Amino acid sequence: MGDVLRVRALEAWYGESKVLHGMGFRLAEGEVVTLLGRNGAGKTTTLKSIMGLMERRAGSILYRGEELIAARSVGIARRGIAYCPEERGIFASLSVQENLELPPRVAPSGMATHEILELFPNLRERLGSFGTRLSGGEQQMLALARILRTGARLLLLDEPTEGLAPIIIKQIRNTISRLKALGFTILLVEQNVAFARALADRNYIVETGLIVDEIAAGEFERRLGSIQGYLGI
Amino acid sequence: MTTIFGIPAALLFGQLLLGLINGAFYATLSLGLAVIFGMMNIANFAHGALYMMGAVGAWFLLDAFGVGYWTSLFLCPLLVGIVGILLERLILRRVSHLDHLYGMLLTFGLALIIQGLFRFAFGSSGLPYAIPEALSGGTNLGFMFLPHYRGWVILVALVICFATWYAIEKTRLGAYLRAATENPALVQAFGINVPAMIMFTYGAGAALAAFAGVLAAPILQVSPTMGADLLIVIFAVVVIGGLGSIKGAIVAGFSAGILEGLTKAFYPEASTTVVFVLMALVLLIWPAGLFGSKTQSASTSVVLPALANETSLMRWALFAAMALSLAVAPVFVYPAFLMKAMTYALFACAFNLMAGYGRLVSFGHAMFIGTAGYVTAYVIKGWGFPPELAILAGTASASLLGLVAGWLSTRSSGVYFAMISLALAQMIYFVALQAPFTGGEDGIQSVPRGVLFGLFDLSDPAVLYVFVLLVFLGGFLFIAALVRSPFGQILKAIREHEPRARSLGFSTEHYKLAVFVISATLSGLAGSMKVLVTQIASLTDVHWLMSGEVILMTFLGGVGTLYGPVVGAFVVVAMQNYLAALGAWVSVIHGAIFVVCILAFRRGIVGELISYVSARQARSVAAGTRADAPDVVARRLKAGA
Repeated sequence: MGDVLRVRALEAWYGESKVLHGMGFRLAEGEVVTLLGRNGAGKTTTLKSIMGLMERRAGSILYRGEELIAARSVGIARRGIAYCPEERGIFASLSVQENLELPPRVAPSGMATHEILELFPNLRERLGSFGTRLSGGEQQMLALARILRTGARLLLLDEPTEGLAPIIIKQIRNTISRLKALGFTILLVEQNVAFARALADRNYIVETGLIVDEIAAGEFERRLGSIQGYLGI
Repeated sequence: MTTIFGIPAALLFGQLLLGLINGAFYATLSLGLAVIFGMMNIANFAHGALYMMGAVGAWFLLDAFGVGYWTSLFLCPLLVGIVGILLERLILRRVSHLDHLYGMLLTFGLALIIQGLFRFAFGSSGLPYAIPEALSGGTNLGFMFLPHYRGWVILVALVICFATWYAIEKTRLGAYLRAATENPALVQAFGINVPAMIMFTYGAGAALAAFAGVLAAPILQVSPTMGADLLIVIFAVVVIGGLGSIKGAIVAGFSAGILEGLTKAFYPEASTTVVFVLMALVLLIWPAGLFGSKTQSASTSVVLPALANETSLMRWALFAAMALSLAVAPVFVYPAFLMKAMTYALFACAFNLMAGYGRLVSFGHAMFIGTAGYVTAYVIKGWGFPPELAILAGTASASLLGLVAGWLSTRSSGVYFAMISLALAQMIYFVALQAPFTGGEDGIQSVPRGVLFGLFDLSDPAVLYVFVLLVFLGGFLFIAALVRSPFGQILKAIREHEPRARSLGFSTEHYKLAVFVISATLSGLAGSMKVLVTQIASLTDVHWLMSGEVILMTFLGGVGTLYGPVVGAFVVVAMQNYLAALGAWVSVIHGAIFVVCILAFRRGIVGELISYVSARQARSVAAGTRADAPDVVARRLKAGA
């Protein structure tokens, strides 16, 4: 069967400066794939390009065989791709419940609010509080939770572990493995090697806007040295 | 007869009722303004025109087709809402990705066009509109008589305000709107069509304004100009409530109306200015308004046009060419026109110093040219001052006013700054209208020109011309030097990124205040000169249209360029001279130039010229160094720019 997502020769620009120089990778149904790389390598830009949030992009983004490179972000979301941005993008002027219910349903398979609250029990008692009153961990949970309502089956997650305590990271890791078990396809941008190792089927190394290496889950142990070299740890 | 604080109770309650009615209109209109601001980040200058369209539309529907009040109350908002949607879709959207300033200027131009067209079609006198039969008459409440229609207005406004507040704060659609206000890109990435939402929001704001217009038709004067002056009060109300706050708009709207009503009862002379005074007081204590939280970003992505390799020889040659051509021009062109154009050019250069280099686009600069004009005229006519002292007095008064106004307004920036400056200028306008020494509607006329320093008789046209020319050139040189000085460099830095400039240790508010005062002073100098040239100081000089004109001159010629405002001033003054016979069309033409200028050539005449020349230079550099590696050329270009 075909790939869920296939990106080829993807280029993107911020104004005059080019940040992606021909990214190429693929995701199969039900896979968790990470983009690993240092700050400024182009990981976030790749996700933004897929979501149609860059002013200028070129190349090819095939989603279930359909070309998205010219699509607008509204249409991309409507086709069943959900995005959890870096720094979480929680709306300060909306309550937790409003944040949770903001993204419209794009497919009938979306989770009901009570199912989501079972996955994220600590959001339940905070439904009435305002978005930014939450702790960083709670905000991250909320950012993950709200895209599950939509029915999208491909999730783009941008550094869900950033700035969070180890115990929270563990919770998020458990959540993402449960999502994987539920059959979601997940593209994960990460800098946290241990987190990627615990979750990913395959890892792509991103450097200066290009994929420079691909490391499958089985090779992780053996290639740990070179991964740390890539990430400069 | 019962009295309260020495005021007959009936009068007091009557004025309170009037205040409440005005408050109802203030609240409804500032509500729409707040909603539009939240989504689009622009102060909708067309709001007054949309309100007027509602009222005049109701009159027209009745007059031409016999359509009654109740139908109009539904039909006018619908039609004006469609107009709003079209305006957003066809015009405003084209600049939505640019600095929000452009959107604001566009709405200003649109307001001029709409108002001018309606004046052309319906004249500028009041149109009568009867109270609908079902609501005629009134009830005696015991302590006062309540006309039914007035009660209806207050009731409907309260319902509308509550409904809008509820829709935005408590519904799903409102959640979309609030989220899109915060982070439109992310909302878009969730599959919500934000551009369509913006379009319908603008349409809804327009419909709300038109609804208020129909509501006003039976009790306020219906005329094509009814929206313009009201809009400025609405701006003050929005500033009081806090920009973008729905609750603030409602609370401030009703409070301002009631305060105005009370002032009318106790001290009628101050009733037109009291809202502006309240605004100034609120700003002193809460710079973001009562309920405001949204901060305006002060940085801009607009690049100032500059020649690639400008030498000081070129600069002096350009200046000499301008000076020479102005010196010989009176042989060919009517000198009175030239002198008027030069005073306006000085005014526009002063405005540009602040708007272009400081990015503080004031919508109230008329207050400086006007105040200086009145003071100059008064001290000459009333106290017999010689011209040099009169100019000094006029200019000093503008500086002083600039210090106060700048202190109040430069703590904010962008849209907020524009609205505050406009409101402050309107306060000065009302003072000029009512104060005993300004001559009210007549102004101060036939001001003698006098003898400069006891030596030069300014009633001699040649002497006057030379004097005006020298003052203009002096002012121009001063501004040119200032822009290139370290002070000017810091201004540009603040303009591009205020927080960054502050983090480098510059106290940015002092710089902004300084440039505001300098700009006010030079505008004052222009105002004093204008009185010597035209021998009259009048209300038109302090009217908001004058502030609009100086913006037009500067943007048409090229904001942020030295010669742009000069070119713009000459073009606009020439247009006024030759188009004066067209009457109402002048405002339409002004508006159309605004719109075309913002849509098609944002850099203005001189700015476009500069970028054309720069591009040619770049091409010839590239052609001359074809052997060079491309990156060398690129580096060279960058260094030159």
